[in-house]
Amino acid sequence: MQQFTVHKIGPEIKIAGLDLSFTNASLFMVISASIIILFLFLGSKEKRIVPGKIQLIAELFYSFVAKMISDTAGSKAKPYFPFIFSLFMFVLFCNMVGMLPYSFTVTSHIIVTLIMALFIFVAVTIIGFFKHGIKYLSIFVPSGVPVVLLPLITIIEIISYLSRPVSLSVRLFANMMAGHTMLKVFGGFVVSLGILGGWLPLGFSVALTGLEILVAFLQAYVFAILTCIYLNDALNLHH
Amino acid sequence: MRSLLSFLIAIKAINTNLLAAEAGMPQLDPTYWASQAFWLILVFTILYILISKIHLPKIKNNLDDRENKIKGDLESANEFKEQSEAKLKEYDTILENAKKEVSKILLESKNILDKNIQSKKNLIEKEIEKEILKAQKEITELKKSSLSSIQKISENIASNLIENISGEKLNESSIKAAVQEISKKQVDKYL
Repeated sequence: MQQFTVHKIGPEIKIAGLDLSFTNASLFMVISASIIILFLFLGSKEKRIVPGKIQLIAELFYSFVAKMISDTAGSKAKPYFPFIFSLFMFVLFCNMVGMLPYSFTVTSHIIVTLIMALFIFVAVTIIGFFKHGIKYLSIFVPSGVPVVLLPLITIIEIISYLSRPVSLSVRLFANMMAGHTMLKVFGGFVVSLGILGGWLPLGFSVALTGLEILVAFLQAYVFAILTCIYLNDALNLHH
Repeated sequence: MRSLLSFLIAIKAINTNLLAAEAGMPQLDPTYWASQAFWLILVFTILYILISKIHLPKIKNNLDDRENKIKGDLESANEFKEQSEAKLKEYDTILENAKKEVSKILLESKNILDKNIQSKKNLIEKEIEKEILKAQKEITELKKSSLSSIQKISENIASNLIENISGEKLNESSIKAAVQEISKKQVDKYL
């Protein structure tokens, strides 16, 4: 579990009684964001008709996220495209940077994912009320349900709505933490079984690394697409 | 299933170090929660502003430019295609006209040639007819002359024969009449 520990880098910064010191977690947030900025800078620097490699990848990311948003939330979600793009890129790059040995996985901390999820939850709820007023509450009352079941369904809908930030944050955090823990466990087996028996867990480690890269991408995608779905609920009432 | 597995791992981690989160799951140690939240919000805000204000418009521009360029190119290609088709049509009509003219010229020259041949043929035929008529005339004249000379010869022969046989001279006019009468009867057979 040592890989998940947060420790201070540099001087202690205290504002209003809160410890806001720069930590290794902060460092890797900055690193991920810097890589994204650098990558997008290189990807949009040249205006070539036939794109180069980096430009092609940046444009692929752009059209990938744009298609994801238009597919799930429709054209009304266009103003939120930069936010969802940033979110997807940030989560993806934090996950990917975390795959490097001796690095720190920002998204493996519940507080980070929870803040992102809570922000999305609050923002989506505000957007929903802003767009539809009090009618937004009808999201809890699905149409075409028998009257007898309506109270029960409404309660379930409210619970599911309120648990959105929890499920969104825990999904990402738990996936990242479990993956890294599993890699660590198998790595430990390689060491403890030595040169004779260590080959099998080593193979597992290699396979798991591949799997973890897939999971890193997948979880970023899931995080972004669920945000799109929540946004769709808020923008286009009654699906 | 993955989340279940990770959840179990998390539960186990919590259980083994109950209330001692620092040793078990560093994620549950609240010491740096405020710091992480602060830095997350700061970094993400800067990232969002940079991406939305600088990078996405650039990429969008690039993509739009490419799309417009492709659209423009396709349009001009279509235009060129239409132009070439029009030219082809023009060329076809020109070719058709030329073919028509050629056949017309052919027909005309053939007609002229036919006329020439016909007139020459007529001329030659007329000449031949004339020659034939001339020849016929000559033949009839020759016949007549030969007839009169035959009569004379036969008169002479007859008078000579009679003189030799009978020894006396008949007058020539009676012999002439007799020969004429006989030759009229006889010559008709040969003519």
